[in-house]
Amino acid sequence: MLAQTFVNGLLLGGVYGVATIGFSMVWGVMSIINLAHGAYIMMGAYLAYLMAARLGIDPFLSMPLVMAALFCVGFAVQSLLLNPVMRTSVLLTLAMTFGLDLFLVDVFVALFTSDIRSVNTSYSSEALAIGPVLVSYVRLAAALLSLALAGLLYLVLTRTRLGQAILATALDREAARLMGIVPERIYGYTAGIGAALAGAAGSLASTLFPISPGLGNSFIGAVFVITVLGGIGSVTGAVAAGFVYALIQSFAASYLGVNYQEIVAFGLFLVILVVRPQGLFGKRFFGEV
Amino acid sequence: MSDTRQLVLAAVLLAAALAAPAFVGNYWLRVLTTVFMFGVVAQGLNVIVGFAGYHAFGNSVFFGIGAYAAGVGMTLGLPVWIAVPVAVLVATLVAAILGWPLLRLRGHYFAIATVALNAAATEAIINIGGVTGGAQGLPLPFSALPPTTLYRIIYFAMLAALVLATGVVFWLSRSRLGYALRALRDSEDGAEVMGVDTVRAKILAWMISAAMTGAVGGLWAYWLTFIEVGTAFDVSISVRGYIMMLLGGMGTVIGPVIGAALFQLVGDAIWSHFSGIHNLLLGALVMAVVLMVPRGLLDSLSRLRPPARRGRRPAEA
Repeated sequence: MLAQTFVNGLLLGGVYGVATIGFSMVWGVMSIINLAHGAYIMMGAYLAYLMAARLGIDPFLSMPLVMAALFCVGFAVQSLLLNPVMRTSVLLTLAMTFGLDLFLVDVFVALFTSDIRSVNTSYSSEALAIGPVLVSYVRLAAALLSLALAGLLYLVLTRTRLGQAILATALDREAARLMGIVPERIYGYTAGIGAALAGAAGSLASTLFPISPGLGNSFIGAVFVITVLGGIGSVTGAVAAGFVYALIQSFAASYLGVNYQEIVAFGLFLVILVVRPQGLFGKRFFGEV
Repeated sequence: MSDTRQLVLAAVLLAAALAAPAFVGNYWLRVLTTVFMFGVVAQGLNVIVGFAGYHAFGNSVFFGIGAYAAGVGMTLGLPVWIAVPVAVLVATLVAAILGWPLLRLRGHYFAIATVALNAAATEAIINIGGVTGGAQGLPLPFSALPPTTLYRIIYFAMLAALVLATGVVFWLSRSRLGYALRALRDSEDGAEVMGVDTVRAKILAWMISAAMTGAVGGLWAYWLTFIEVGTAFDVSISVRGYIMMLLGGMGTVIGPVIGAALFQLVGDAIWSHFSGIHNLLLGALVMAVVLMVPRGLLDSLSRLRPPARRGRRPAEA
């Protein structure tokens, strides 16, 4: 029981991590809390579902396509809706993404109804038995892919010109401009990468959870807590905090009852905010990798 | 818009609202009651967001607390005219207690914390069960009054709440506390240096905001006679209030009232034709407001006049 709870938490943690990285990066680099991040995750899940149901493409294989599609969505939203209001106020971007979230979720309700759908693969129910502990292949693959994606993003941020430009813009927008970087374009790329990662999380989630237009909203609470736990803008922090959060949630659910999941999460969140607002691992430095 | 103009506008609106029940049917009475209710929610947000600059996205928590305090009070035998003040008291008290840890958070953090608070309150009410009715919801005792009289009473009670709330905001706009709040909105450290007790001012603002929201929450429970956590703690209550405040102009005295009236009346006309896609339209409206009138209609209107005559402009947050 103890070992199984631990393994379940660990496997879920990877997906939480990927669901969070994009959100955290967007917040860290641009000071935007993207409330539509959950809707992006949901869109990713639906795209993966559509490709699996209509074209028979396995969700793990269609993931790059889903990510590319979501990148375009993120880029377009940033350029058309968010860049024009970025200068004025923190609140306006928050209100904007809130409106976007309402809009997108309802579009999917209108297109797909609120019915619950699922992606079934031939290996869905198979699991690897290690002693008494069962490790579902799908969950294991999802967790490993999550780590791989986080690693890839880390390399992009630290080793490529685009990554350096994103970090530079996060550190000092005006200085970055003087170095020949166009902040608006970098913001577009950052939002695109954030959305692409949400799409990846949605792809992974489609293999694990039932899919409905409300899928993203069930993630967004966890994403918030993990972002703050890991330190805003920190990729490695988000991954580590994803595991911590999933473990806490999985233990709270099995020892206190599912009803207490949210209270535990909220309590944790509040304590971190008040005691260590920079997160468990973070320094107060936005855009850190 | 200058203070005198706002005052004239407010007086005209009030006269119209007082006369309305004599001319309108039940449908419009209900619509107008809803307008007043959201007007108060928007004013409550105006105090904490527009004045203090603290983005309480989850202020609906006080609506739910007010509804439940009044509901539980009434099932335990309190008459409504005691139950609603009790609701106000409970909401204010919760704000006072939670204000100390939560208002230390700035910007985004506070916004999220209030949303999380709302979620946790929902869970707490369900888990407490017993007297709150838990997940099943809470039926309130029926009133002995005939429905038409009852709905008129609720209409005037909501209107009174709105007038009171607007009066408080008017007082706030020229009081010491109001200046302290606007100072800390523009620069918290700066206000501190100038001798403003920022902690006290913030907590007071949140308490005022909670009192307003809790009052209409309590009245709403009395109006509906059946409440459940999903609707009482619905985040969309505060989100609507937010849009109304933005639409009318935050930090102004009657902006939120005008925003509430416009939003609710236009909304009612639109919603009834598109029942399945409420949120789609609501979301599109939020985005349109943010893109086109980020400072609110009052400000946009006053910009049409030569700038020399413009009064104090609500500063951005």
